[in-house]
Amino acid sequence: MSYKIPMGPYHPALEEPYKLDLICKGETVRDAQLHIGFNFRGIEHLAETRNYFQVIALMERVCGICSNIHTLTLCQAMEQLAGHTPPPRARYIRVIVAELERLHSHVLWAGIASKLMGFKTMFMTCFEVREKVMDILQAISGNRVNYAMNRIGGVNRDIEDPGSIQRMINALEIEMSRTIIPIFTTSVTARSRCAGIGILTHEKALSCSVVGPTARASGVPQDIRRVAPYAAYEELEFNSPVEQEGDVRARLLVRALEIMESCRILRQALEKLPPGEINTGEDVKFAFRTGTAVSRVEAPRGEVFYSVSWKENSRTPSRVHVRTPTYANMPAVPWMVRGARLADTPLIQASIDPCYSCTDR
Amino acid sequence: MTSVESMARDAGIAEPWILEGGVHWLNPGAMSVRDVASWMNENHARFVTITTYELPATEGFRLEYHWDIDGQLLGFSFRIPGNSVPSIFDLCEGADWIEREIHEEYAIDFTGRVCQPLLLREGNALGVNLREAGGAGQAEPQEAAR
Repeated sequence: MSYKIPMGPYHPALEEPYKLDLICKGETVRDAQLHIGFNFRGIEHLAETRNYFQVIALMERVCGICSNIHTLTLCQAMEQLAGHTPPPRARYIRVIVAELERLHSHVLWAGIASKLMGFKTMFMTCFEVREKVMDILQAISGNRVNYAMNRIGGVNRDIEDPGSIQRMINALEIEMSRTIIPIFTTSVTARSRCAGIGILTHEKALSCSVVGPTARASGVPQDIRRVAPYAAYEELEFNSPVEQEGDVRARLLVRALEIMESCRILRQALEKLPPGEINTGEDVKFAFRTGTAVSRVEAPRGEVFYSVSWKENSRTPSRVHVRTPTYANMPAVPWMVRGARLADTPLIQASIDPCYSCTDR
Repeated sequence: MTSVESMARDAGIAEPWILEGGVHWLNPGAMSVRDVASWMNENHARFVTITTYELPATEGFRLEYHWDIDGQLLGFSFRIPGNSVPSIFDLCEGADWIEREIHEEYAIDFTGRVCQPLLLREGNALGVNLREAGGAGQAEPQEAAR
């Protein structure tokens, strides 16, 4: 006999509202239905009422974790319409902040995943490491969460002492390579909770059009930083880790390896940081051409897509459409939980690193 | 652009791709949204999203379908004179949520599928979020250049 277990909308695992109705037979999940929209904020509509300064602050609040990515994507689209090109130093600073954001997002996820595995010591370790990343972001921007770094034509704040950040990155890398990554990759506890569960096959990953680490863990080598480089990524060397298994462990491994790649990118960006201006200096009035511009960026969870439309002489956009990575990844969750044990479903759904703030934009 | 140019040539499409605003646009001509989706599937393109614009007066809507091939973002723009457009969900699973969202936000029907509630709860009114009050074209249209 089948029965239905509602998980959410106030689920203790993620502290964000969403609902998963699990259709079970015994302890096995047969099907799942996802429900979102509990915190829908109508941000796309609000964006049409904000001028070109206010809309940046608004879109920074689409997500609390990858806030910088949203302003970066939006500013890149608006720069196309306003005809501005950020100076080289600004492009490198954009990379540095984006990779720091990826680090803190991935370590935050590792902490939450540890908690869901019942590995609470690891949760504390991850959050301690994450604090160090947050300290660097605070040192650069003055803020721990919404950094307000991006503007049309560049960035708002300079990195005045790259050497001090380099030292912090080195210390961070040692801690990650000595503690977090070995435990996640070799620990029996982690392996027993993650290996072989929540499998998203390569074929299903392609048909569901999933993005980011969720796609790369299913053997889809897709990374916007490599295939459609933006900011200064074209001038930096890095790999995009890909795993084939498509299970929770593969998603964990991809993110663990990406942490090391982010450190590698950060070291290069800090070493190559060119001198010069950090923005075009035009901070009073921007002239937008009539048209639509699209920008894509590789956020910690995958591709973010912004389509921005403007009419000449208007201070507000006529349309801003956002496609966040969780929006692309969430529909694949029912395929991951089918056939899984009921007790594994919190970890499986968390393995895509879902962001309901992004989804309920 | 080599791969997409050859792709269009192989399909017998004479229209050139136009790079504008970060997107390689192709006029779909006589192709329907489903024809484009099938063509994209044949070429292993990844579905990205659909962006909707409300047009002035009684012109309806414009839907922009975006696909990705090897990092090149492709765009196909379709004018929808009424309130309905064929669904591509059966051809492209990734289009499920965005079709449901557009159905809720603009009250556009995607024919050939049932749109389960996504952001709205069962029984809530459609089209109150992004569609202007009174139907398409009653207020400042979202249509821009294209």
